[in-house]
Amino acid sequence: MMKKRVPDWLNSSLWSSNPPPSDDHQNLRYSTTTNATATTTSSTITTSTPSTEDRSVDPPVPVPPPPMIEDPPEPQRIQDARVDNGAKDHNGTSGLPSADDISRQAQLMAMLSRKVIDILELRRIACQGIPDGAGIRSAVWKLLLGYLPLDRGLWSSELTKKRSQYKHFKEELLMNPSEITRRMYSSPSYDTDESKSESRGLLSRSEIPHEEHPLSLGKTSVWNQFFQDSEIIEQIDRDVKRTHPDMHFFSGDSQFAKSNQEALKSILIIFAKLNPGVRYVQGMNEILAPLFYVFKNDPDEENVAFAEADTFFCFVELLSGFRDNFCQQLDNSVVGIRSTITRLSQLLKEHDEELWRHLEVTTKVNPQFYAFRWITLLLTQEFNFADSLHIWDTLLSDPEGPQETLLRICCAMLILIRRRLLAGDFTSNLKLLQNYPSTNISHLLYVANKLRLQSV
Amino acid sequence: MVLVLALGDLHIPHRAADLPAKFKSMLVPGKIQHIICTGNLCIKEVHDYLKTLCPDLHITRGEYDEETRYPETKTLTIGQFKLGLCHGHQVIPWGDLDSLAMLQRQLDVDILITGHTHQFTAYKHEGGVVINPGSATGAYSGMTYDVNPSFVLMDIDGLRVVVYVYELIDGEVKVDKIDFKKTTTSHSAH
Repeated sequence: MMKKRVPDWLNSSLWSSNPPPSDDHQNLRYSTTTNATATTTSSTITTSTPSTEDRSVDPPVPVPPPPMIEDPPEPQRIQDARVDNGAKDHNGTSGLPSADDISRQAQLMAMLSRKVIDILELRRIACQGIPDGAGIRSAVWKLLLGYLPLDRGLWSSELTKKRSQYKHFKEELLMNPSEITRRMYSSPSYDTDESKSESRGLLSRSEIPHEEHPLSLGKTSVWNQFFQDSEIIEQIDRDVKRTHPDMHFFSGDSQFAKSNQEALKSILIIFAKLNPGVRYVQGMNEILAPLFYVFKNDPDEENVAFAEADTFFCFVELLSGFRDNFCQQLDNSVVGIRSTITRLSQLLKEHDEELWRHLEVTTKVNPQFYAFRWITLLLTQEFNFADSLHIWDTLLSDPEGPQETLLRICCAMLILIRRRLLAGDFTSNLKLLQNYPSTNISHLLYVANKLRLQSV
Repeated sequence: MVLVLALGDLHIPHRAADLPAKFKSMLVPGKIQHIICTGNLCIKEVHDYLKTLCPDLHITRGEYDEETRYPETKTLTIGQFKLGLCHGHQVIPWGDLDSLAMLQRQLDVDILITGHTHQFTAYKHEGGVVINPGSATGAYSGMTYDVNPSFVLMDIDGLRVVVYVYELIDGEVKVDKIDFKKTTTSHSAH
């Protein structure tokens, strides 16, 4: 069998993780290099319009470059964790945006304001990245996750329905047993008696139905369930406190951070109670965090107020595709995490056999050591927060489904650093893969996309 | 929602060997936030056992306790309630409501917990509530041999207390509850 050679375009210096400074195609959106130049030519605009079905096959012209000026406001925005007032501020403070970026934003806004949303079209455009302003990402994610219906007219009724359902869940499931028993057994006449009789004497005893006392060991006892749940609640509490400690939005002493943490906790507790099969597994907090962040930073006031409810439903939807990763019993099964990792391995073998052989056979770097975290946490831990939002844009919008896209992106991640991997041994490769070097996200996604087109 | 266990008069090892098995199976660590004990444990091993159930333990001295350094009376505040603790052999006549009410006014508490009589009682008077959790082991007392093992668990939630009474009658655990609400105005001075 002929050994599959790595195609030449992959070996081009363009794709190495430290892009050469002189290359003027490198100013893609979340670029970490500081000397990129903004290039906007009319030609790139024409090639970028969505009339072309897939990206340009010609390697040296990557995704149309958004301006470098997007970059500085972005990290500060994450630091401050406050809602930016839409694209206007961005453009105002930073000068000229690229015409293409405006066009993509305008397209998305136009599509969102139509009466019935064309989901295929939306997916295609969102795949290229969603601009940060004007609450577009928040609305698009809600549409992609199926939370908002496609018919715009139904939005308000759906939203009120779902939001009140969440409120109902909260009331039902987050009550402590004292309140529950009080509501179950309260008799209005008792309270009036109490106020009348100030006299002394024996206090009257009343019977307890169904073993509902705090030390009950009965399975149906509210108290017993409460104590069993308290273990999970403690773990959720610990994990939420450790989520993104570097971001003011999630961590710190401010009232804002604390209320966000409370919201995250409530969502996870309700999810655990409604899903006794999966309950809570460490890592779910990491998947929840970007969703909540995006919805809470929506410029629309009403959406911000109900961000918790919206996040809950979107979280459920997102996790429904990935639940099997969290279920320990399924680890070794066909749908479990091990088989997913094997699929990644296969994918790598298909596209870059040399690298695959070097990694798995020569240096014996078992993909479980690095891919486990990549896959179960949907790459939130490998890149900084802003980059992972961008990756999620692509993950959620790809029509193939998030699982497939995720594997392609992981494969692309490996291929991008192939030079270093091929040169390294077990220790250095493992170290590199577990601390993935910061890289140009747009071109990572471009490579991932190319893998789809190239797969046999 | 604070769970407070009140028990006492165990008289281990002199009059009883151990808590009844059914009680012991219910008393597991992690559920109870405070334990208040009227006294007469009598030995250190019982103290250590209670400590394993909950680290916050309050004891007053009973006349047979071997640890001499427990206080005679104790007051503590849990939530909105002030609780007072005393063994009760100091208050004569033993178990008399008026005398106990005097002690309650002295300590200035809403709920007074005393023991010594080995009988569960819960009284209410103008000043507040007096609870006697009885003997948790069913040990005999100076007054009677006919003692049912009993203890009390209080669920303090805001201005409300639900008192759960656990008694072992004919080998079965029977649980009753008593509701008590604190009036927001302080008790009238008579």
